[in-house]
Amino acid sequence: MTALAAIDPAPATRLTLSARYGLLGALLIAPTVLIFSAVIVYPLISAIYLSLFSIFTLTLEGSWVGLDNYATLLQGPTFWNALGNTLIWTIGTLTLQIVFGVAVALLLNNNIWFRSLARSLVLFPYFISTVVAVLVWRWLFNDLYGILNHLLVRSGLVDMPVNWLGEMPNAMASIIFVGTWKYFPFVVIAVLARLQTIPPQLYEAARVDGANAWARFWDVTLPQLKGVLIVIILLRTIWDFKEFDLIYLLTGGGPLNHTQTLPLVVYQQAFGLNQMGMAAAYSVMMMLVMLVFMSAYLYRTRRARSAGA
Amino acid sequence: MKPASFPRQLLLNVAAWAVVLAVIFPLVWMVVTSVKPQAELFRIPPSFLPDAITFEHYWRLLAETPFLTYFRNSLVLAVSTTVLVIVVATLGAYSLVRFSYPGRETLAQLVLFTYLLPSVVLIIPLYLMMVSVGLANTIASLVVAYTTFALPYALWLLRSFMAGIPEDLESAALVDGASRIGAFWDVIFPQALPGIISTALFTFILAWNEYLYALVLVNSDQARPLTTGVMNMLITSFNIEWSLLMAASVMMSLPLIVIFTFLQGYLTSGFGAGGVKG
Repeated sequence: MTALAAIDPAPATRLTLSARYGLLGALLIAPTVLIFSAVIVYPLISAIYLSLFSIFTLTLEGSWVGLDNYATLLQGPTFWNALGNTLIWTIGTLTLQIVFGVAVALLLNNNIWFRSLARSLVLFPYFISTVVAVLVWRWLFNDLYGILNHLLVRSGLVDMPVNWLGEMPNAMASIIFVGTWKYFPFVVIAVLARLQTIPPQLYEAARVDGANAWARFWDVTLPQLKGVLIVIILLRTIWDFKEFDLIYLLTGGGPLNHTQTLPLVVYQQAFGLNQMGMAAAYSVMMMLVMLVFMSAYLYRTRRARSAGA
Repeated sequence: MKPASFPRQLLLNVAAWAVVLAVIFPLVWMVVTSVKPQAELFRIPPSFLPDAITFEHYWRLLAETPFLTYFRNSLVLAVSTTVLVIVVATLGAYSLVRFSYPGRETLAQLVLFTYLLPSVVLIIPLYLMMVSVGLANTIASLVVAYTTFALPYALWLLRSFMAGIPEDLESAALVDGASRIGAFWDVIFPQALPGIISTALFTFILAWNEYLYALVLVNSDQARPLTTGVMNMLITSFNIEWSLLMAASVMMSLPLIVIFTFLQGYLTSGFGAGGVKG
């Protein structure tokens, strides 16, 4: 019997080739699935579960409160204030990123001297750490020795040094501006790549029809960029909406919570006020709002993939 | 297109370069500040080019602050994260692109979903998890936490890189008698290598620059990476020494400057493959 079993090929080799390939494929993806389950799926479900408790961060002792956390946050001013700030920040910085990004891309698409050097330099703010960006800008914004105030005062644009981060509406404007500086290169690179694939014949035809530069931009360039711009806008909306580092480090949500966005509230609730359950509830609410943009992006990529395949 | 006339060309160049210089001015100012003598720093009006160049702030940074510990921590952290994520994601992406099994499409959607997920949602459960398994305050806890954003990102990037490799190449190797794994090593891996390098560079930069997880999960100078470490130098100092902080910022950006100077092509190709193309 044992001899027979030894001659008999192992059960696995009797599987069809495609089933074996399926097994190999599953084996290769297994580490990914394991890590995903442990560090993403489990914490995600856990966050929703935690939001139903009242937990004191320092002792981690909690009691079941059901939906009370959600009722509290929807009735209080913090959530609505933060949601409003998040929307102002996101819409403000996104608009500037797109306008400035497209403009710079159009400029760099010309045959200028040292074009590749210019492109690399523009890319730099996007890749440096937010910590570095914030340190540099806080030094530039410095009220006494900051170069920005010095230049503005000397040129006569302002009489007194401007308090960039400590008062409203300056603080919101400053974070929007620094956010634009940091993230517009993403738009530049994506748009530049697309610009290079627009057939020159389209411009020739428009020129023959007597279209000036402005008309060529609206009638040729912009329709060609539409697809890539929609994707950029969706991605950047999601990323700007969840931005924490830049705002936290520039203003910390101040002055008086005027720049406190939703991610900052989650952090403050969890580690400042030690209300872990409440923080989880805020984070779940934040994700619900983001789901709108996330679904739109997922839907769009799925459609693009089935169309492109 | 007709070559533009000279005045027009000149105007374009001046405009383009004025914008480029304005964009990088803050970074130039960072370097200038870091080599200015302390006395010159607070002079009014400020000098655009320092009268004398000094490296005293860099020496003080290395000798009198825990900067080198932070730097080493960041290096260990970013390299570990990159190696772990690249190995897992290369196998995973290969599986997602070239094999068929139930649940594959759902998994691909899940990858994209997690790629967009905000860190603040995961941070509370992750913090509790690290405390309960005793990993809190270690570099290892950060490596685990960083996989939450680096792995989906790397998978998504590698997936689009690998989808671009012609399937015929692999089929030919299989017809010649290579095993699936053999075909992966001999055909897919060499073809995907530029994509893998590009993804590795992005992963390294993401891990190098991360701030929020480091802020929450690590609270000791032994394990603190550069981002929170340097920020701490700002917060805890009695009077802020800007030249020291600017020197720290320059040093902290060194890996990026190296990548930019020598490996920039990989960064731009990653831009095309990731996200934007989908």
